[in-house]
Order: sequence, then structure tokens, then C-alpha cells
Amino acid sequence: MLNNLKIITEHWGKINPLRIGDYLNVGGYSALGKFVEKMDPQKVLEEVKLSGLTGRGGAGFSTGAKWELVMAQKSKEKYFICNLDESEPGTYKDRMIAENCPQTLLEGIIISALTIGAKKSYIYLNGSYAKAQETLERAIAQAKEHKFLGAKILDSKYSLEIEIFSGAGAYICGEETALINSIEGNRGEPKIRPPYPTEAGLFDKPTVVNNAETIANIPWIIQNGGKKYVKNATKLFVLGGSVKNRGVFEAPIGTTIKKAITELGGGMQKGKEFWFAQVGGASGHLFLKKELNVPMTGSGAILVVDKTANIYDLLLAWTGFFRRESCGKCVPCREGTFRLHEIAERLVDGEIAQRDKEALEDILWTLENTTFCPLGKFAAVAVRDAIDKLGILK
Amino acid sequence: MQKSGTIEKILLEFDPEAKNLLLALKKINASFGYISEADAGKVADYFELPLAKVYETASFYDLIETKKTANLEIKVCSGGDCVLGNSAEIIREIENYFRIKAGDEFHPKVRLEKISCLGRCAEGPIVVVNGKAYEKVTKSSIYEILDKYAK
Repeated sequence: MLNNLKIITEHWGKINPLRIGDYLNVGGYSALGKFVEKMDPQKVLEEVKLSGLTGRGGAGFSTGAKWELVMAQKSKEKYFICNLDESEPGTYKDRMIAENCPQTLLEGIIISALTIGAKKSYIYLNGSYAKAQETLERAIAQAKEHKFLGAKILDSKYSLEIEIFSGAGAYICGEETALINSIEGNRGEPKIRPPYPTEAGLFDKPTVVNNAETIANIPWIIQNGGKKYVKNATKLFVLGGSVKNRGVFEAPIGTTIKKAITELGGGMQKGKEFWFAQVGGASGHLFLKKELNVPMTGSGAILVVDKTANIYDLLLAWTGFFRRESCGKCVPCREGTFRLHEIAERLVDGEIAQRDKEALEDILWTLENTTFCPLGKFAAVAVRDAIDKLGILK
Repeated sequence: MQKSGTIEKILLEFDPEAKNLLLALKKINASFGYISEADAGKVADYFELPLAKVYETASFYDLIETKKTANLEIKVCSGGDCVLGNSAEIIREIENYFRIKAGDEFHPKVRLEKISCLGRCAEGPIVVVNGKAYEKVTKSSIYEILDKYAK
């Protein structure tokens, strides 16, 4: 059986997310208290580096390393951004964090922001997350009343403002440079790197962008120490499709896809036979039954597809998604995602020609190798796997 | 008309800084359904930006419209989970019902669009009609919803 330690989901469903008192009763904000009284930013950084915490949004960059880069910058003005854009299809773990226990997230943001030396923090929220926005707004107001936020936090020298920036519906805004562009009032297109956001991010100031799930781990790490986290690290999984239990689950990091499906998901729904699983959202690889014994990576979304599914509808969903979400900045992606969708439509209509099949190879190669940001690469993943593993062209 | 009065009111809620541009556009969009050229001009004046810059930002995002929206806006989630729940079939039913095609703008009153995941997969398939989200829609329950609006 999977280890039952809960770091992020511990209080879900047990406390009222709209009342800070409930969170305080279960020991909430004691990590912030510990930080203010007994620690300093350098000590927090050490603990976070020791914990080996990595970005939970999908890319998996070391959180401690990212913070260190910003802490080393001399600029007086720094920003901390909580990335809650979460537009990867099939992923809604961060929304659940915000809706079920917003104070854990806030506590994490406060400690993280103060550690890197920011006085202003943004939560970049997915534009469709209305309920999460309401919950977070109330949580912020209550945290201010209790002096966890604002000027002189808990009568210390630290101060911090948190502002919610609600996005307007764009997949690419989950990418940190695009997200920064979006807050600055621009099109949410990615910027060329370097300079990295850690040097010149929001308003050209050093900026840390961390995923909400990453941040939600911080209070626990401060409370229990980075060393203890190494053995207990968890990851949120989002199970969807034809599994018995659909939803968000917390399990030890490194849990295999197979275990996630059978133990968290409770196996397949009655009468349905496993075909393949798409891991990591619309940009994720497809895994056949024999390939499931690998540790879960990426954003944590697992879409389980059974044999009755219409692969052509899925193909149109994937290609249509990336065609819509391609920002249009670079030609390979703008044209590539468009043509990919066109060919998928012809394939579905049964009108695919030999010419299309040859073009498909070119388009996929171009997307994989020449686009400005990873979106192009993502667009090719599922289609490539569907050709190689499911044989959709045969 | 009252409209010209209220857009200025909305703008005054925001400091004319670039970081408020998108938020202001969203708010105007929420009040009027879309950003008209005249309104975009007022936004440009207020933020002291070129009109093109305002359009550049406004046209990028899914949740902001730069064209007048139809009377009946139907959006169907086409994320993987909703597709497994048959959202593609639901789209075909709607297409037949109104004799339209998803993505087309030919019908004077009805528009059907496939949209990206709203992060509500466990409640899918999701159909959004004029801003109201319906959960767990099926091939047959979609008719009850459409009848409500089509009258």
C-alpha cells in the first residue's frame, strides 16, 4: 500500500477554507511564526535546498536553486509569483489547493516571498477559477487581519503584499515568461531567454515564479526540516478518464503510473478495459499497459483511456487544443499546429492522402525541433505517440 | 446611452498602469460582452497607449472578445477527459440542432465553440451556455439545455 503521509491534502475537507480560525486550530501559520522568530532567509534557503524540493508544475527545476539565483541579485525590488494558471488540460490540483486550504498556500507564499526578499507577490490565477479567486480573496483579507500579511508581519521587520492577478484564458501563460508578459499588460507570449526571470523578470526585476503545489510544501518543510522532507516528499496526482476514483490524490513522489492507477484510482471502471494512459495533460506521452511501471513525472495528470474510446475524437481534441493555444509568435508553431489539426481532420474523415502522411513527418519534426518555446514540442508529443504506439495511420 | 457613462466608471477603478490593462479589459468585457473599437479607443486614451497595443493585448486572450458576441454562445469543453465523456458527440448534436458548425460565424444568433479545459474534469463533460456552466452533460440532456435557450 502507498504511504499515507499527507503534506498538502492533510486538512482538505476537514477545515472550512473560508475561516482562518480553523487553519490556526490545526497549527496553521506556526511555520511562519518559526520563520519570523527563529530563522532568517539564509536558513530557510538551506532547508529548502536540503529538502530537494523541485517544481511541481511539470518542469521540475530545483526550487532552492531558483531562489538562490534571485537572492544573489542586488536589486532592492524583487517579486515572487505563485503560478496558479494551471491550464494544462486534465489538471486541476492547484485549484483544489486554493479551494480546499488556501491558507497553506498563503503561508507558503509569505515564507517564500520573504525569503527571496520580495515585498510584493502576485498569484497568477487561471481566469476560469472564479471560486478559487473568491476563496483566496477572503483568505488574504483574513490573513491581513491576523497580521500574517501587510506591513510588519507578526511585528517583525518583514512586510508583504499579495495581489491576485486573474488571467484571461491562455494556455501559454503558465510558461513563466509569458505569465510575466501577461501581468505587464502584454500579449502572453514567451520571451527569449536569457535574461532569465531570476535576473530580469516582472517589470525587469528579479522574479521567482513557483507553482502553487511547490509552494504549498514550504510550511511543512519549515516545520519539519528539509532532511525529513526528502524521505516524505509527495506529489499530487489528478486521475481522470476510465478509472474508478477520479480526482486529486496525494502520494509519495516516485509513485509509478501503474500504482497510481490501481491503488489511487482503484483500477478501471466496471466493464472497461485499459488501452493507454496519457500522462501529464494534453502535452503528455501515451503509455501502453506494458510501459506503466515507471515513476510518474510532470504535472501529475493521468488520463486513463479505455478500449471503447474514440481515438479520432481524442486526436482532434489534442490537435485542436494546440492550434487554439499556439500564440502565433513563431511560424513553425503557428503553422505547424494549424496543419497538424487539418491533417487530423482529414484522417478522421477518412480522406487522408499519402501526401499528408509524408507531410505529417515533416510537421512533427519541425514542431519538435524548431519552435520558440516548448508549446510546439508539446503539440507533437501525443500525435507522435499515437502514430508510433497506437498505429493510427495504418 | 448609459453605456458611455459606465466605461469611464470602470476605467476609473484602475490606475493607468500597464499591469492593470488586462484586468480593465476583462472587466469591460464582463460588463459589455466584448470590447468595441470605440471602447478600445477609450482604454487606449486612459492608459496612454496606442490603440494597436490595446488590441494586441485584447485579441490574445480567450476570455476577452473583440467582436460582438452572438445572442447564444455555446462553448463545449474539448479537453481529453470531457472527450472521453463524449463531448465530441455532444458537439455533433448541437451542430445538428442549430444546423451550424463549431467555430463558424455564419449563424446570425448562435455560435458554437470548442474550448480548452476549464479544470473541472471530474464534473465533465462541461458545456457553457451564455456563461453558465452545465456539468455532466450527456447526448440527451443537452437537448433539455438547448430547448431552454432556443425558445
